[in-house]
Amino acid sequence: MNRIEAHHIDDLALGSVFLATGGGGDPHLNRIIAIETLKARGPVEILLPEELDDDAFVVPVGSVGAPTVSLELLPSMDEPRRTLEAFEKQVGRRADAVASFEIGGGNSLVPLVAAAGRGIPVVNGDGMGRAYPEAQMMTYAISGVRPTPALAFDYAGNTALFSTQSTEVYEYHIRSFAAAAGGMITVAEHAMSGAQLKQAVIPGTLSFTVELGQVLRENRGPAADILDPLKAIFEPSIYGEVRHLFSGKVIDKSTRIIGGYDIGEATLEDFDDPGQTLCLNIKNEYLLARTGDRVVASVPDLIVTVDHETSTPINCERLRYGQRVTVFAVGCPDFYRSPEALRVVSPRSFGFDLDYVPLEDIES
Amino acid sequence: MRIGIDVGGTHTDAVVLLDDQIVTSTKALTSADVMSGVEDALDTVLGDAELDLQQVELVMIGTTQFTNAIVERRELAPTAAIRLGLPSGNELPPMIDWPEDIAEAVGRHCFMLHGGYLYDGRPLAPLDDAEIDDVIRELVARDIRNVAIAAAFSPMKPEPEVYVAERVRQAIPDANITLSHPFGRLGLVERENAAILNASLLPFADRVVASFVEAARRRGLTCPVFISQNDGTLMSAEFVREFPALTFASGPTNSLRGACRLTGLEDAIVVDIGGTTSDIGVLQNGFPRESNVVVEVGGVRTNFRMPDILAIGLGGGSLVADEGRCIGPRSVGHRLVQEGMIFGGDTLTATDVLVASGQADIGNPAAVASLDPGLVQTAQGTMHEMLDRGIDAMKPSGHAMPVILVGGGAVLVTQDLKAASESLRPEHAGVANAIGAAIAQIGGEAERMVSYRQMTRDDALASVTQDATARAVAAGADPATIRRVDIEETAIPYMDEGATRVRVKVIGEISSRRGGDK
Repeated sequence: MNRIEAHHIDDLALGSVFLATGGGGDPHLNRIIAIETLKARGPVEILLPEELDDDAFVVPVGSVGAPTVSLELLPSMDEPRRTLEAFEKQVGRRADAVASFEIGGGNSLVPLVAAAGRGIPVVNGDGMGRAYPEAQMMTYAISGVRPTPALAFDYAGNTALFSTQSTEVYEYHIRSFAAAAGGMITVAEHAMSGAQLKQAVIPGTLSFTVELGQVLRENRGPAADILDPLKAIFEPSIYGEVRHLFSGKVIDKSTRIIGGYDIGEATLEDFDDPGQTLCLNIKNEYLLARTGDRVVASVPDLIVTVDHETSTPINCERLRYGQRVTVFAVGCPDFYRSPEALRVVSPRSFGFDLDYVPLEDIES
Repeated sequence: MRIGIDVGGTHTDAVVLLDDQIVTSTKALTSADVMSGVEDALDTVLGDAELDLQQVELVMIGTTQFTNAIVERRELAPTAAIRLGLPSGNELPPMIDWPEDIAEAVGRHCFMLHGGYLYDGRPLAPLDDAEIDDVIRELVARDIRNVAIAAAFSPMKPEPEVYVAERVRQAIPDANITLSHPFGRLGLVERENAAILNASLLPFADRVVASFVEAARRRGLTCPVFISQNDGTLMSAEFVREFPALTFASGPTNSLRGACRLTGLEDAIVVDIGGTTSDIGVLQNGFPRESNVVVEVGGVRTNFRMPDILAIGLGGGSLVADEGRCIGPRSVGHRLVQEGMIFGGDTLTATDVLVASGQADIGNPAAVASLDPGLVQTAQGTMHEMLDRGIDAMKPSGHAMPVILVGGGAVLVTQDLKAASESLRPEHAGVANAIGAAIAQIGGEAERMVSYRQMTRDDALASVTQDATARAVAAGADPATIRRVDIEETAIPYMDEGATRVRVKVIGEISSRRGGDK
């Protein structure tokens, strides 16, 4: 696959919701925007990291904010392109390619809209391989790419320029701006050279996500039947093991928006045995799955909730009391199992008092 | 005593219930004008039962007319969609993802204005009176009287919607206006879609409700008339004039609730086999299981809560092809009685196969006597396989469950269903929908902003539940039967961490004491 066309967008959006592990927002409107943009401007070329020149100027573009907000504060068609152009004007250099923060959710689509608007390629890869809530969790940040200069663009076209010492400080400042600017903004940040990108990207995820979406579409139906097709696509990939964790009904869900994040937990009860429950901890994404005291999957591995009857992935903000769901776990790419990465994406870094155990080492 | 009426696309059914016992029932064809069919059905049951009209406490009507109007794109009034949200959502107008045919039926009268609120309660943009005036001038010029208004974060701050509605009403006094915030849930596009569909149905709703009430009055019934909504509870006739869209999917809901009452089973699969499709739903604790995903009505995304129904193309009129290996989804529908072979036609249908197998005596069996027995056997195998697959897909777990067969096409099931622990065919299964309407309950909803900092979540839920219960009782529910069926919490960020909008829904049986609207 060397380009994304309008007819790929539905599969890309569907696959991206699966990889978003509950976060990333509902990509429905970004999907419409991407389709309309690619129809008007033509397909977008996608380049694997190794196809980029070492001195190419690569600019990641995406949305930052609380997913629940974007249910009401709608995106605008020209926001991604205007964000990129405002950034280019500030740094005085034109981008050679756009990259994605995260392949999970709407941020798989925003770079395509920005790139189509400017007529430049998008990197086939991303900075998370899924969705995470914070900038320092991106492969780009973990690999030492500086987050700033960064430019944020709000719904009304106001912009803010950032220059910070560390990614953690940057993350705090960009969140503050997002919170002050309606809760959802578009951002260009972590600009880097082609050489830097090659060390700092989860490769191939754009085309993989289109293929994953195709698998989900073609196998729409009971979640029990989709496990084998999921194994067939994930196990030979950079992800690895897929495991069925639980099937049951949502008996409680409580989240609040704290500091710009959706934070809380959901409890599921087994269909046949009310004594069996699964508890999901949420911070924009599903971070931890526990049965009683036992952790059965944890971040950075992927925890994915799907509709029990149709296998449609369900975002945290759409998860509701009474829903019937199945929960899967998927191994994360090796990048996130390095000590440097685990410093920022382990359960401990999210405030849970426990160490990360890789999915395949947990007894199923 | 209660009368339940179900107006379906093909049949209009009626039942009379006395203390939960079915006194009499009838099944008539739905007339083109609907009303005469309802009157005929009423005449039949009132005549059969020799009722004392004064004893009839309630008439409950379930109707698919509003769903069908959307699906078939008819009776829809030209409707303006006014969204208050600019500068957000620029170039992303209302109805952008609607199917072309329904967008045309409603007309693409879309307007985007500045306004609405942000998540933190600050204005997204101030309302602009000059912009509003321009839209009103345009509405007048285009002679549009139906208007849907949706603003960003209106479930938390409805004021912009209310303000624009007042302005429109001042300029166009007979305007039919639907605001989005009563549809409640967050999700501006889906809530706006619900409001547009509802607004486009308002003139039709006026006519339908008036004809129902008039039909009852003309037959000497002076009791209140209720209409069932998609969650299995009732709305007063007046309420339906304002919110016809809340009747969407009340047909399948009534069918499931009727099946529950007929069998006493609270947890079961219900298969409603009609002329064209088999609708498979799931009863959980006596209520339809709801769909998890964003629900499309006539191809439009909405945020209504709807029963989770799997429709498969198998009914009494389904065409049989490929030596019995392929059945449906095409069907002769209600023309079965002319086109089916046993009725003298020349189309081979599922019902013809059934009669040929000797397991039913309908029409003229001689007309299918020469059918190849191999074909008949294959076709029956195909039908049962189709149902088994559908039931299996809907089952909540791997365990076999009881299956309740209802609807006129239930006779097609002649063998054991592998996916079922047992198959039940209750008496009166043909009028399950009308029974579901007749036993429908009264709902009550309450919502309030609470702070989980000031009170525990349990206390807050209990308190809001109390309000909802009071409303249900006031509407005629028996306090002893009330239970909570839904909790919805929407966090209100930043205003105060822990601030939450809590919405609780309860339902209860109609009190034997007479309640309802005046």
